[in-house]
Amino acid sequence: MKEITLRVNNELRSVYIEPNEILLDVLREKLGIKSPKCGCERGDCGACTVLLDGKAVRSCLVLAVEAEGHSIKTVEGISAEKLSALQEAFIQFNSFQCGYCAPGIILAVTELLEKYPKPTLDEIKESIAGNLCRCTGYTPIFDAIMDLTKGDK
Amino acid sequence: MKDYKYIGKDVTRIDALEKISGAAIYGDDIDFGANLLYAELVQSTMAHAIIKSIDTSEALKVKGVYRIFTGKDFPYKFGLYMKDRYIFAQDKVRFVGEQIAAVIAFSPGAAKRAAELVKVEYEALPAVLDQMEALKDDATLLHPELEDYPHVPWFFPKPGTNVAHWRKTRKGDLEKGFSEADFILEDTYQVPRYAHCAIETHVAIGKFDHSGRLTVWSSSQSPHTQRHLFAEALGLSHKDVRVIAPHVGGGFGGKAGVTMEIIPAALATKLKGYAVKLRYSREQEFINTYQRLGVVAKIKMGVKKDGTITALDHKIYWDAGAYVEYGANVVNAVGLSAIGPYRIHNVSIDSICVYTNLPPGGAYRGFGYSEMLFGLESHITRIANELGIDQIEFRRKNAIKAGDLTAYGAKMNPNGLIECIDKVQKAINWGKKPSSSDPTKVIGQGFSLFWKAPAMPPNASSSAFLKFNEDATLNLIISGMDIGQGYQTVMAQIAAEILSVPPSKIRVETPDTDRNPYEWQTVASHITWSSGNAVKKAALDAREQILSLVNRVYHYPIDELYLDDEAVKCNTDPAFNLPLKDFVVDGIMTKDGTFKGGPINARGMFMPEFSSTNGDPETSQGGHPNVHYTVGAAALNLEIDKETGKMRVLKAALAIDAGKALNPDLVRGQITGGLLQGLATVLYEDMRYNDKGKLLNPNFTDYKIPTAMDVPDEIIPIIVEVPQPDGPFGARGIGEHTMLPAAPMIANAVEDALGIRIKEMPVTAEKVALAVLNKDKP
Amino acid sequence: MALAHEFDYARPACLEEALKLKNEYREKAVFLAGGTDLIVNIKEGMLKPELVIDIKDLGEMEDFPYNEDRMFVGAAITLEYLIHSDPLLFDYQILQDAAKTVASHGVRTRATLAGNICSAVPSLDSAPALLCLEAVVHCVSVDGERQIPIGEWFIAPRKTALRDNELVLGVYFPSAINWAGIYLKLGRYGGEDLAQAGWGIMLNRERQYRIAHCALGPVPKRAFKIEAWLNGNELSEELIAEAIKLIPEEISPITDIRSSKEYRTHVSGIMLKRGLLAARDRLKGKPVDAAKLLGGIA
Repeated sequence: MKEITLRVNNELRSVYIEPNEILLDVLREKLGIKSPKCGCERGDCGACTVLLDGKAVRSCLVLAVEAEGHSIKTVEGISAEKLSALQEAFIQFNSFQCGYCAPGIILAVTELLEKYPKPTLDEIKESIAGNLCRCTGYTPIFDAIMDLTKGDK
Repeated sequence: MKDYKYIGKDVTRIDALEKISGAAIYGDDIDFGANLLYAELVQSTMAHAIIKSIDTSEALKVKGVYRIFTGKDFPYKFGLYMKDRYIFAQDKVRFVGEQIAAVIAFSPGAAKRAAELVKVEYEALPAVLDQMEALKDDATLLHPELEDYPHVPWFFPKPGTNVAHWRKTRKGDLEKGFSEADFILEDTYQVPRYAHCAIETHVAIGKFDHSGRLTVWSSSQSPHTQRHLFAEALGLSHKDVRVIAPHVGGGFGGKAGVTMEIIPAALATKLKGYAVKLRYSREQEFINTYQRLGVVAKIKMGVKKDGTITALDHKIYWDAGAYVEYGANVVNAVGLSAIGPYRIHNVSIDSICVYTNLPPGGAYRGFGYSEMLFGLESHITRIANELGIDQIEFRRKNAIKAGDLTAYGAKMNPNGLIECIDKVQKAINWGKKPSSSDPTKVIGQGFSLFWKAPAMPPNASSSAFLKFNEDATLNLIISGMDIGQGYQTVMAQIAAEILSVPPSKIRVETPDTDRNPYEWQTVASHITWSSGNAVKKAALDAREQILSLVNRVYHYPIDELYLDDEAVKCNTDPAFNLPLKDFVVDGIMTKDGTFKGGPINARGMFMPEFSSTNGDPETSQGGHPNVHYTVGAAALNLEIDKETGKMRVLKAALAIDAGKALNPDLVRGQITGGLLQGLATVLYEDMRYNDKGKLLNPNFTDYKIPTAMDVPDEIIPIIVEVPQPDGPFGARGIGEHTMLPAAPMIANAVEDALGIRIKEMPVTAEKVALAVLNKDKP
Repeated sequence: MALAHEFDYARPACLEEALKLKNEYREKAVFLAGGTDLIVNIKEGMLKPELVIDIKDLGEMEDFPYNEDRMFVGAAITLEYLIHSDPLLFDYQILQDAAKTVASHGVRTRATLAGNICSAVPSLDSAPALLCLEAVVHCVSVDGERQIPIGEWFIAPRKTALRDNELVLGVYFPSAINWAGIYLKLGRYGGEDLAQAGWGIMLNRERQYRIAHCALGPVPKRAFKIEAWLNGNELSEELIAEAIKLIPEEISPITDIRSSKEYRTHVSGIMLKRGLLAARDRLKGKPVDAAKLLGGIA
């Protein structure tokens, strides 16, 4: 067992882990961060997405020990004070149905909008191409983002 | 048309905040503390075999392992419509992936390591992997004791064969119908199995406490049905079994009925004081949960020169898997409806449920209708083309109207099928398809009608409780499941409209069978209608209590009182305005200091008392097995690269008759989501089994579901509203239907563009390209 | 989703330490960069290492020097970083095309080019680009440095020329500024997929051609016969038609659950034709979206 310290949603957290523990499991089981979900265990579905030092990664493919000293952000961190404009847009547009893919998509798009505040539809599609959604057909997700970022609201 | 405040409006989902803030709790998110055990299954590697021995000695030595259980610990049968299934395999395994044993350990890693060390010895039996093989006289029997299986009275198994159920529908005079035909087309269509692929896999946790009380948390569409099956199978009283449903990360039918949830429920009864969790891996999700049944359909249709359909002989052979306790109802449902939304006087349908050594088939969005419509709508386009009649005109001419007889002799409900056809025809610019400037591309147009009725037992009922809180917000206590379709929001809208309390002030949570009243299942696209009716009654009950109370205390006549803006008002006394929050819990204080009334608690229940399965076993005539049909039409423009076969949907239009779209945004959500799921089944989804019954692609690497890159360029959702007379505000269900037209539309568009008819799904780029190549060969 | 297999983890601060460990453990230790292949392999039981050596603290792994004459991509450089870098956008478009088709954004933020080539799967997207660019893999061990030309790197499916005590430092690319190139990939739909056929094509104003493929045999390879046919000649319909006829001599595709050998062979002809014409367009300065060349979504 090794103790590691990492910044999770702007708080320093310490936890004991074995080398073979996966970041997704440690976040969920040991740190109580439930929004990243397990969908496929192979990095194919994107439900486990977290922001690692600001970049979207598949937390099911990261060993917890690799995250030592780094910073992780999940939807709980984004919702901490109040909802982000992106989250409000998703609510207004009824963009999600069962909601299981929502945390991953919210983080992927949050990262996108930091880099490209006015993305094209193609850029939006590319940023969430690895986040599978079985319910919505993606269109209401695109609509919310395009509406939010066209700037003249 | 009445103008409503909440009904028919694009109300924001009431569960959106929870899901988008990260607060929503799904099955695997629940914490159980130190007494949580993990179950890992040992699954069969053989498609059909006798289990000779199970050696758990090495597995038990792994550190952290607590117990190992096998079939002999749970010799109970269970099943929804037929009891042909076991919690763990008994003497035999009948499909690759069937659960044989469970290792219980204090960590998932230990459970997994130990499960790999359990040694099973098999004696192979011949495996039947194809429904046509299974029907042969000399085929191995999967269920030699079929005769003894309890089942619903409207199933007809054939003991001594692999036929678990044979639904026969006979109407009119088939021979006469064919003799009147000027043209007869006969052909066979094939549809493979498909997987639901909800992003959340199945998960369930069972806990049996020291008082003998079983609690099961499960990601499920059917908490009450689960409770019933657990209680029955495990010999417990219903009051001692509690099913708590957290949020569900997608169902699509795969989380209906009971499958893996019974495993932790049963295990818990032998692990008193502990909670035991079983969470399926993605691979297990592919291999050992319900799958969409496979189909071989033989269609023979006769038509007159003028396009009138005179006769239809539709034989559908279903690959239903090793256990058909749910899948047999898919077969039944289609057996009653395989005429499609058409008026046909002379009909013969044989829908045959066949056991095969493959995973159990079960409920999947569309409940057999996608599979059936692929063949039927392909066939109809071909016939229309053969006769030289426009395929939309052909369909319009034969379209079923309100009052026409269905295949089983009941009257068709009011419906907007013609309006759907008209609107789709216009939206897609039928007959004027765009042309491509790229010489390698060609564009085709495809069209399909669709219909479906809920397939349910005649006593599938819904109930609702409603209680006000002190601040006049209210709790709607119902047992339908919001699996993403927006059920909770729509029920809130119904209560909101009647009680003038906005949906945002109404709380609807996922159910607990201890607290929430009975709901059959969230399947069949029926709960907007059924649960909606129950909620409406509960809201009217509450309204009645409120208005009676005000009448009793203030003496205004009840018919002069109404609810508006969360207050009771009077149309003959505009000054009267009594806010609900003043009395819905506390009662109304009168002049003498006494209080009248008290907490407003209401209830509603809906049972389709007109539904029955008394049809004749040989003809299906009589009875009223389907409450009503929802109909629609769809079309698309498909661009095909002639050389690579790759296809792109440029534009798709889908019209559906929702009766009354209680929340149009959510209906549009079902249209875009369902259409994409349907397109995926025809274009690239594909479950592949090898000749030993093993699934070759149990992962997203090789079973491809749509990504953000796969969305059609343009989708035009069209909502038609011909009210359902017995639906809440005229509504009927639409959730499954939006998937149904995709496959035949694509096949029809490919034929339109290239003159190639592909009769086996999926219609992949590879099939199209190779068909083009072979067509050009001399 | 725990990993059942247990192992030790080391995160050496310097290269010598990393090499010493690897030399000691040999095939019982594996190097960890992005982990997007490694973690899946351990999880599914394909690899059972005793020690995982994380290379992400080694500064050399982040080297990314480039100019007109050359480019060196350190082993820890992620595909996502590469895709947005100037040299790939302007000089090494064929590699840009390929890197963009690997998995998805959330995987590319961790996956590395070095890790990609170490996996050595037959459908390796970066392989045709590396083969056409005549890249060289720089490796190092306690025994010293080695440069392995990419043409000698792929031995068999999932097997490379890397020795069991060696670490990949990075991949070296000679100049490509006089060339235009493109990578075409055959997938089953619009989303991420393993290639069912991949073709890398480069050409220059001297009418020289470099062509390579992946997913069409046990290892990715250059198509020297087709190159020999094309070299020195201006592209024409007839020239290309004859080149396509040579494809069956260059590839040995199989039929598997992803695709049949007939389809792979047939579409390879289309990919070669369209790829050559698209590369020529790029040589003339015309922008081409490699992802749209094969039509459709499905």
